[in-house]
Amino acid sequence: MSEVKEKILNEEDQKISVESGEGASDNVLEVKHLCKYFPIKAGLFGRVVGHVHAVEDVSFTLKRGTTMGLVGESGCGKTTIGKTILDLTPKTSGEVIFNGNVHLDKMSSKELRAFRPKIQIIFQDPYSSLSPRLPVGEIIGEAVREHNLVPPEEFDDYITRIMEACGLHDYQKDRYPHEFSGGQRQRICIARAVALNPDFIVCDEPVSALDVSIQAQIINLLEDLQEKFNLTYLFISHDLSVVQHISDTVGVMYLGNMVEYASKEEIFANPLHPYTQALFSAIPVPDPTIKMNRIILEGSIPSPSNPPSGCKFHTRCRNCKGVCRKMAPRTMDMGNGHTVACHIYDPESGYATEEESKPEE
Amino acid sequence: MSDNTNMNLNTNESGEEQQPMSLDDGRRVKVLSPGMMVFKRFIRNKLAIVGICILVFMFLFSFLGGVISPYRQDQVFHKYDKANKEYAGAVVNTDYRFTAAEGFTLTTMTRANFNSKVKGSEEAEVKFEADDVTYLARKVDDNFYTLSVGEQLGTVTVLGKITDIKSIGDAELSKALKDAATAAVKASATSFEAEGVTYTLTKGAAKSYVINGMKEVAMVSMLNFDAFTSEYDTLARSFAFRKACETAMHAGADSFEVDGTTYRLDIEDETNAVAYLGDTEVVNISNIIVNPVNNGVFLSIDYKAAVAEAIAEKHTTFDFVDENGETVKNTVTMRNNNYVIFTEQATDLIDMYAPPSKEHWLGTDDHGMDVLTRLMYGGRISLMVGFIVMILENLIGIVIGGISGYFGGWVDTMLMRFVDLFNSIPYYPMMIIAGAIMDSFEVNPYVRLYMMMAIMGIMGWTGVARVVRGQILSLREQDFMVATEATGIAVSRRIFRHLVPNVMPLLIVQATMGLGGIILTEATLSFLGLGIKYPLASWGSIINAASNIYVMTYCWFIWIPAGLLIVLTVLGFNFVGDGLRDAFDPKMKR
Amino acid sequence: MSKKDTNFISAREARKISKENNKILKKLDGRLSRKNVPESEYLTTMKDPGNVVEFDDLHTYFFTDVGTVHAVDGVSFNVPAGKTVGIVGESGCGKSVTSLSLMQLLQRPTGQIVSGEIRLNLGDKAYDVAKMPIDAMRNIRGNVVSMIFQEPMTSLNPVFRIGFQLDEVIKLHNTGMSDEEVKQRSIDAIKMVGIPDAEGIYSRYPHELSGGMRQRIVIAMALVCNPRVIIADEPTTALDVTIQAQILELLRKLKGEINASIMLITHDLGVIAEMADYVVVMYAGRVVEKGLANEVFLDPRHPYTIGLMESKPVINKKVDRLYSIPGSVPNPINMPDYCYFRDRCEKCVARCEGKYPPECHVTDTHIVSCWRYFDETKGGTGR
Repeated sequence: MSEVKEKILNEEDQKISVESGEGASDNVLEVKHLCKYFPIKAGLFGRVVGHVHAVEDVSFTLKRGTTMGLVGESGCGKTTIGKTILDLTPKTSGEVIFNGNVHLDKMSSKELRAFRPKIQIIFQDPYSSLSPRLPVGEIIGEAVREHNLVPPEEFDDYITRIMEACGLHDYQKDRYPHEFSGGQRQRICIARAVALNPDFIVCDEPVSALDVSIQAQIINLLEDLQEKFNLTYLFISHDLSVVQHISDTVGVMYLGNMVEYASKEEIFANPLHPYTQALFSAIPVPDPTIKMNRIILEGSIPSPSNPPSGCKFHTRCRNCKGVCRKMAPRTMDMGNGHTVACHIYDPESGYATEEESKPEE
Repeated sequence: MSDNTNMNLNTNESGEEQQPMSLDDGRRVKVLSPGMMVFKRFIRNKLAIVGICILVFMFLFSFLGGVISPYRQDQVFHKYDKANKEYAGAVVNTDYRFTAAEGFTLTTMTRANFNSKVKGSEEAEVKFEADDVTYLARKVDDNFYTLSVGEQLGTVTVLGKITDIKSIGDAELSKALKDAATAAVKASATSFEAEGVTYTLTKGAAKSYVINGMKEVAMVSMLNFDAFTSEYDTLARSFAFRKACETAMHAGADSFEVDGTTYRLDIEDETNAVAYLGDTEVVNISNIIVNPVNNGVFLSIDYKAAVAEAIAEKHTTFDFVDENGETVKNTVTMRNNNYVIFTEQATDLIDMYAPPSKEHWLGTDDHGMDVLTRLMYGGRISLMVGFIVMILENLIGIVIGGISGYFGGWVDTMLMRFVDLFNSIPYYPMMIIAGAIMDSFEVNPYVRLYMMMAIMGIMGWTGVARVVRGQILSLREQDFMVATEATGIAVSRRIFRHLVPNVMPLLIVQATMGLGGIILTEATLSFLGLGIKYPLASWGSIINAASNIYVMTYCWFIWIPAGLLIVLTVLGFNFVGDGLRDAFDPKMKR
Repeated sequence: MSKKDTNFISAREARKISKENNKILKKLDGRLSRKNVPESEYLTTMKDPGNVVEFDDLHTYFFTDVGTVHAVDGVSFNVPAGKTVGIVGESGCGKSVTSLSLMQLLQRPTGQIVSGEIRLNLGDKAYDVAKMPIDAMRNIRGNVVSMIFQEPMTSLNPVFRIGFQLDEVIKLHNTGMSDEEVKQRSIDAIKMVGIPDAEGIYSRYPHELSGGMRQRIVIAMALVCNPRVIIADEPTTALDVTIQAQILELLRKLKGEINASIMLITHDLGVIAEMADYVVVMYAGRVVEKGLANEVFLDPRHPYTIGLMESKPVINKKVDRLYSIPGSVPNPINMPDYCYFRDRCEKCVARCEGKYPPECHVTDTHIVSCWRYFDETKGGTGR
């Protein structure tokens, strides 16, 4: 167990040295064709009658020290991606590779447990993510002690240091979660993750449940910690403005598919996919003088258990043509690492030549 | 100004704070501790408080009550009931009673011959023979005879003018007798009298006569002689006394003398009298025979006298003061020429179904045991059964439900089907069969109690298992459990540090609510006679008394309180359980 | 640690608090529960007949086990007829409690209106809601004031059809109506919220509808009795961005069609900016800034408002580091008498050490409670 850990650590050291030496890309995370289907069971014997296609063929890579934002509406599978990457729910197919060669699904449970500290998660709901019957110091320090990350005599100091780094006070160690406000609880969650000295943290909507002023604090905290510990984030959120602020690259999800993926600058300056465009225009801006030319999407997200044929977005897309209903779009690379899955940008799809099959309603 | 406000604020704190606290400092406002929060929510629930009060009362009643109660739980109470029972029989004597003199035995033949020859005869003297002995029965009065046997006292030899009298045997002949005999011989009489006794002369050998004296060997009478005290028993039985006494009676004399002692005689009528020695009642004389109905009962002579008196005076009832000074009512009735005396007899009865009284606040039950005390001890068993079964159920339920919920998958499926299987075992038939088996083996009530608890526990864990499983399944999906997995915490620690403490409140609630049900089940089983058996008691087995229509109708004090106790206890547990649930549930406002 | 710092209330303190609470609540709740109170007792007159609702120095307290929570502590603002007033603030600032006070839907008996007036204009007369007994409130709720809740999943009863639930509301307040009329009105209301197949939706169950549709139904339900005021308590918070855009679009459209005033409660400044004519910014139970939407958004004066606006990342507005207000919202128990925002404020002036700042007029409509805008010559109009 310790050997494995050492091996991993050594590898990291090597890679870091490589990165610093040559400036080569160091992918903390590579996701290749990740799929996650949840079976729908019915009947007396729990026969599988179908699947919820929560995540379908998602690929991306994440460089060390960067943040990837994952945006989408509820039910688009962004939370499932986070959990599947960490092997908290087993994936259906595809590959998840950490640090270039660590495959969680190929590890024994013992090795996996030893590797766990390296990959952490912060949840959306700061209320349900803290065990209500443990004091805060214990919540933060439990796993640290479990993995012997610091010598026992330094343990208290270490926890205090971590708490202070996360904006918590030493005196709060003996308090129970119910005594804390949402923002402070989220700080505790972050402290719990950071205390394990991870490489990679999945931030699953960490600020959605918080007040605006607290959101800013938490976002700043996450940024500070990233700088301090050279962390890599997968930042899952439905709030585009937050994603825009914190991310280096952004992926937009719709019904299990990643419809667009690009660097932040690229995607906000030039959103290609109709869904991304609608999503961006839907955000209310706190300025009464700006009257946005808003794209209002009709209807709501279809059920992921019974997704529409062809392009999944065609039911709400204003640019929908016949081909969209029949064929799923390919993911097109538009240069600069900007990929989009839409027939409009695929010259081979025949979209451009097709007549408007259905005029505007 | 603002400093003042700050100072005021900080007085709430421990006072150690020097710096004024910022408004958003977590220490500025104190919070309720989790325990206090639960407590506060609990006491705000009026019903829960009622429930707690009920339960406290029940526990005090059961566990302290048994100590305070002056009675034991299996103490049977007796009562002395005055029932009009046949106590004695009395007969007016119509048979002759023979009293033989000392040293003489009357044969059966003699009695028989007397009865056949003499009885009814009007003659004053009748001779009869029996066993080659000639008896002379002399009628002294009605129903009073003396039996005499001839006896050669002496011989009289006449030699001219001189008569010589010699005695036969040792008996001295008195001068008077000799003179009378001489005179009789001279007069050639066949009999003579001397000193009031008649003698006969029978001619023997030449010129000699034999003096035949009649010796009284027995008396025949219809009267009974009963000594008042045993020291006079011999006296009362002696021929001399009887004869003297009866003679005096017939003569109407108020005293008589036997062996130099003078007895006073108090004659009621011709058949009843009492002989006194001085002022002491010595012997009662009566023609009525009083015998006890039951063997082994000794009737005092006083009682017999009283009976005789009552019969004589033709009273139908009389009061008798017994040796303890208590007045006993007696009733005399005639049945087939016999008198039967009914006595209000103080018999030793088990005090069954006694109504509430000062000694027994809730009366007594069918075993003559104090109902209140039984209720107290019964409460112990009912509550104990409740708690033990609850603990048993929960132990099994937590383990199985916990495993099922935590591991899920096929383990869960298998265990839950096992639970289903268990649930489909019919509960009451099982209990009835178990009860019947234990009945047939005549199992000790304590063993029976343990067996019942074990069976109830084994049959009842499924509900707990389901609840625990459900709770753990939902907790397992909670983010904090996912976090424990994500941080790589060991399974055992995840279960015992994170899951179990969060299931505890629910379990406490579940157990409290379950207790009521268990107590009800136990009561039901005991009521059906399958549970707790005599001499142990439980509330259910006490209510069982109501299966008797008489008890149900008239002895409300036995089963109503037990029923009330069950209802109250179950209500109490349910109220408290509800209160706890609300108190533990953070979503419950108020 | 030398001493375990638990910060828990001792049993004695808790008992003291309960005792005091019981005393106060008995009095206050008793007044609310009265039956057959003469109308004259809560009849009042509007300061300005152009307003539908006037909150005047409203104090709503929660008498909890840890002490008295001053959830709303002296809130005054007006809701003009036909206008939308946005109330913005972080959780615990008292914005929801303010609206619940207007409906008298406070958690009884702990939550009580302690003092102040809520004048509700009924057209021909005005009531002081703060003095109204629960009994009389029933005719106001749903009829004069209606509410749109945050959670569309739970604000509809899952076992009744949509139509039934709408009809019920109409029948409750219009007893004379025939069944056909009621149904027609329900269907009209469904059409009004932009649902094309109104007849079909009428006989559906809530679970058959998506979240956005449900929220439309909830809005229809709020509109169906032609209320004078609609309270929309975070109507889009639980919805997805695209659905939120739909609902906001709908509300904007409805604003023009109906003559009701809307009290829009949200923590999202963007939503307020799009919808509101007037903005009220609340902090720790107090109004810190209020004014026309343009005034407040373009010229925010209170440091809290400014901080709030700066701490929200805005699309296509690049900042290296977000501004964040230090600290957190205080728990409104045992509040001192100085500016509640002082400890988090980076723009404190000497005066801030003093009492709670009075209301200072920036313009006629723009009012800020901050010492920095206190003009000695004019003085404040607050306390």
